[in-house]
Amino acid sequence: MPVVDVDPDELRDLTGHQDKDDEELKDDLFALGLEFEGETEDGAFELEFAPDRLDRLSVEGVARSLRYQYGDDRGVYVPKVNDADWTIEVDDSVPDERPYVTGAVIRDVNLDDDALDSLIQLQEKLHATMGRKRAKGAIGIHDLTMLKGSAVERDDDAADAGETAADVGDDVRVSETNKSISYVGVEPDEDEFVPLDSDREMTPAEVLEEHATGREYADLVSGYERYPAIYDDLGLFSFPPVINGRRTEVSTDSRNLFVEMTGTDQWTIDKMLNVVCYALEARGATVEEVQVEYPDSGVYADDDLVDPGATLVRPNLDVDEKRVAHERIERVLGVALTAEEVVDLAERAGLDATPIDTATGEHPERARERAGSDLPDDPRGSIEGNQATTASADQDADVDAAPTVAGDLVYDVAIPPYRVDVLHALDVVDDLGRAYGFNELEPKSPNVSTTGGRHERSRLERAVRGQLVGLGFQDLLNFHMVAREDNYDRMHVAPADSASAADALGAEPPVTITEPYSEDYEMLRSWALPSLAMVLENNTHRSYPQDLAEIGLVAHVDPDEPTGVREERHVAAVLARADASYEDAKSRLQALARNFDVALETPPTEHPSFIDGRTATVVIDGEPAGVVGELHPKVLVEHDLEVPAVGFEFDLAALE
Amino acid sequence: MELKATHVAVLETADATEARSVDALADDTGEPPESVAGAAFDLAERGLVDVTERVEETVELTAEGESYRDAGLPEVRLYRAARDVGATDAEAVPMGEVIGASDLGDAVDIALANYARKGYGVVDSGEVTADPDADPDDDAEAMALDAVAAGEAVDEDVLGDLERRNLVVVDEHTVRFVELTEDGVTALMEGVEATDAVGQVTPEMLSSGDWQDAEFAEYDVEADADVEYGGKEHVLRQTAERVKDVLVGMGFQEMDGPHADAEFWINDCLFMPQDHPARTHWDQFALDVPPMQDLPEDLMARVEHAHREGVGEDGDGYHSPWGEEMARGVDLRGHTTSLSMRYLSGHEVGELEPPERYFSVEKVYRNDTLDATHLLEFFQIEGWVMAEDLSVRDLMGTFEEFYAQFGITDIEFKPHYNPYTEPSFELFGEHPETGEVVEIGNSGLFREEVLEPLGVECDVMAWGLALERLLMLTHGFEDIRDVHGTLVDLDFLRDEEVVY
Repeated sequence: MPVVDVDPDELRDLTGHQDKDDEELKDDLFALGLEFEGETEDGAFELEFAPDRLDRLSVEGVARSLRYQYGDDRGVYVPKVNDADWTIEVDDSVPDERPYVTGAVIRDVNLDDDALDSLIQLQEKLHATMGRKRAKGAIGIHDLTMLKGSAVERDDDAADAGETAADVGDDVRVSETNKSISYVGVEPDEDEFVPLDSDREMTPAEVLEEHATGREYADLVSGYERYPAIYDDLGLFSFPPVINGRRTEVSTDSRNLFVEMTGTDQWTIDKMLNVVCYALEARGATVEEVQVEYPDSGVYADDDLVDPGATLVRPNLDVDEKRVAHERIERVLGVALTAEEVVDLAERAGLDATPIDTATGEHPERARERAGSDLPDDPRGSIEGNQATTASADQDADVDAAPTVAGDLVYDVAIPPYRVDVLHALDVVDDLGRAYGFNELEPKSPNVSTTGGRHERSRLERAVRGQLVGLGFQDLLNFHMVAREDNYDRMHVAPADSASAADALGAEPPVTITEPYSEDYEMLRSWALPSLAMVLENNTHRSYPQDLAEIGLVAHVDPDEPTGVREERHVAAVLARADASYEDAKSRLQALARNFDVALETPPTEHPSFIDGRTATVVIDGEPAGVVGELHPKVLVEHDLEVPAVGFEFDLAALE
Repeated sequence: MELKATHVAVLETADATEARSVDALADDTGEPPESVAGAAFDLAERGLVDVTERVEETVELTAEGESYRDAGLPEVRLYRAARDVGATDAEAVPMGEVIGASDLGDAVDIALANYARKGYGVVDSGEVTADPDADPDDDAEAMALDAVAAGEAVDEDVLGDLERRNLVVVDEHTVRFVELTEDGVTALMEGVEATDAVGQVTPEMLSSGDWQDAEFAEYDVEADADVEYGGKEHVLRQTAERVKDVLVGMGFQEMDGPHADAEFWINDCLFMPQDHPARTHWDQFALDVPPMQDLPEDLMARVEHAHREGVGEDGDGYHSPWGEEMARGVDLRGHTTSLSMRYLSGHEVGELEPPERYFSVEKVYRNDTLDATHLLEFFQIEGWVMAEDLSVRDLMGTFEEFYAQFGITDIEFKPHYNPYTEPSFELFGEHPETGEVVEIGNSGLFREEVLEPLGVECDVMAWGLALERLLMLTHGFEDIRDVHGTLVDLDFLRDEEVVY
């Protein structure tokens, strides 16, 4: 889960609540779902939260959420933006793998050390989350004064662009801008620039080999024919998603910024841009639009995100809308609410809800009035002061029996543009519930009756385990993932190419894990006796006899299974003691067979883990199901055992 | 006082002034040393004798040591040979000549290795000198060999040298000595007799009627008996059974299904975007088997649609890539919610009609960093309720009911985010022992993007938690690796209190 470092003093400054002490802040943050994990060396809170509210990846975003929680802010806020002065021209040479770009200009930002740190952190955290480690979206922030853009030639293009209607919700206010930069694709060694943290010119290819950051992100672009690059009049200044140029580096002296983002998905980078714009605007900066002009050709021709030749105006601060039924809200939360209360909860969640009666088509304001008229005189007044009382009073009422408002009431709920997590009306209901306070809800038992029961396999397993314990076995619980060496080599068993070619229990072909945690966990065990042998091996200092048993999963590759993996439950047991003999194992096996009323035969066989002449196939009701015998001394010695051991293993299903 | 015959013999043979060894007592009583030792310990427990222990050392010549005692140490023989062919400290003689004269055979290397160390001369550049002042008859190691053979004491340093040369074996063993205490003397003076009372009730005694006249020997009924462990269910399994009992009692049916499954059932049905960080090998274990073909095509199309376009009139999908290839990949399941998806889809036990309750307590696999609280495979408790009109309050009530069975009360619901549930809650509860507030699970109502493709038209609430976490909470275990897996200590399992 994401962790964000937040300076509590900054939080007090940005929320305007200087009176809150650290402990109060921690409680308020916990209520928001931000868990205090510890403090940094500088005394900042390390806050962990679930990866839905990515607008909280900076102190500014956390402060905004707190202001809603405190009731200082209400409803949807959309910052004012100035018209575009800059254009990003996308060239058709841009790499097909990374065709999207977005951007904004930020003016009059006051970047003290804290603000700059916060901006850098936000950038890193967005890269790690939405940006999928820069693969899906990468952010470049530049000092605008270091950019030189030439005037844009625009005649017919503007008219064309005005007609395009891209699917990504851009508006079509296309204006003539004065300056432009261009997003292009370059040959790996086509051009040079001085990257950040370097003092010499390098080609993009050299950056990937010689620069530390370049090496870290080389995998993202190394397969590309052409590398992404951003140019102004002075030349190459950014090599996304790898590194910016040093020329446009942002410092505390920077007053105006150019924010660009490139990626594999327009929606994602637009949303990342919105989060950054909101954070900087919260510090008093002004957001200025940037136009993005896509070419007519290239990958966009068969793209469902951006039409060829589209001109986008960014940031896209359009307010999204979801329609939510009143009945749904009450059903999910299990409480009766008035329309007034719903509207209030929405505003406290930073949303705006407009009630609409779909039956009458009534004007929203009228619907609001009508709904409100069912309430006591001042329904709103009681919410902030006496929420708990109100809540429990509501919960006494049966939601279904006495609907507070008409069943046709719905709300059109406005979602602010920094939200990336609202995919469905249900997400709005969750926001309303959080604003209400989920812990204010009184738990109740669902009024539904069902019959419980165990799965048949689970009942059989429990019954057999009970018998094993009765026969004196210590029940074990071992891992299903094992080392190949433990499963085969140390038991002197060689894996077969196919299950049918396996000539001994355990020799079936392994189900291997493609990228294991370590060699100790590289495959699923094909039989269970190796696990028991390892427990014996690890307990040679403990008293004997050691009679161990396990009923557990084993698996092997089998193309006839739907998953390609044959899964079985095996019953395995060992008896290790100074006088252990074949008969000890056989007698327990007989007891199991007797108790489960199956016919047991043990015709002699050979198995590389057991002594020849003291090994038998376990045949249950005429079907071979496993093996029983005296473990071979080479297996005992391999496991550092100084006492003999006998054992058996067979398929649990044979006892059904 | 009546005692067992062996005990009487030991008591009578022991001395009040001299501590006698168990072996000596065994010789005198004619009982095996083990019996004497056992009796001595019993008597010591009654305060009649003192048992003391002493570590004794015995030194014996090895076969090699024995052979050098006969033939002389190799370096001594080398010295004599060197002197024979005329070597002095000034006059070096070629090695070959000396070796030829020495008749050492295989022992040449040993001779050379010890020659200079003991000051007999210098071996350099293929030539040997011999110090005429050295006295081979006064060789400390050679004399020590004789001393060891004669059972005489030997200087510790020299003995160390011999041991390193593998010429002697030093063996340490514990010798136990038994001495009568004052109580023991008193008891003897008052008279002890070997009991001729009946030790064991025998079948013959019962059939003959002899038991009627028999006097039954008195046992020390307070003494500890031999250790008997018997069979026992693994403590984690006991906890799993307990959880299953509780859930069955609450009306839940058990699910069963594959551990290795298509990502489709594990992740895609759960509305986990395919580029979600948890869907990389950093979090889950992919298996080296071919893609799974046997997946319901219509369901897959609906799931893909939910991912791409969302569900409902103004629903949004993800802005993430989605491909069948990934959905068909076979992994070890990261949660048993894959079973819930199979059941809810109607593909496992047929279409389900609400209300239903289902659960599973089974293994899941995650590529996490192994530590005291994280395993690569662990048991997940999973439960869900399917019904018309379920609210968050129903969910809270169900979980309170469940956790109360394990002594966990005052549950707090922290709003949380899961891709597959909304609203979602992390559950926090009070530790029954420490009073600490700890996370005990994750829960929520399944999203419509999950339910609609599955064809479920009512509400489903679900929750999950790790069984190991519940075990650690209720048992106070600190390192889960001590409990689960092949590193388990048998005595831990043997001694652990039974769960009920």
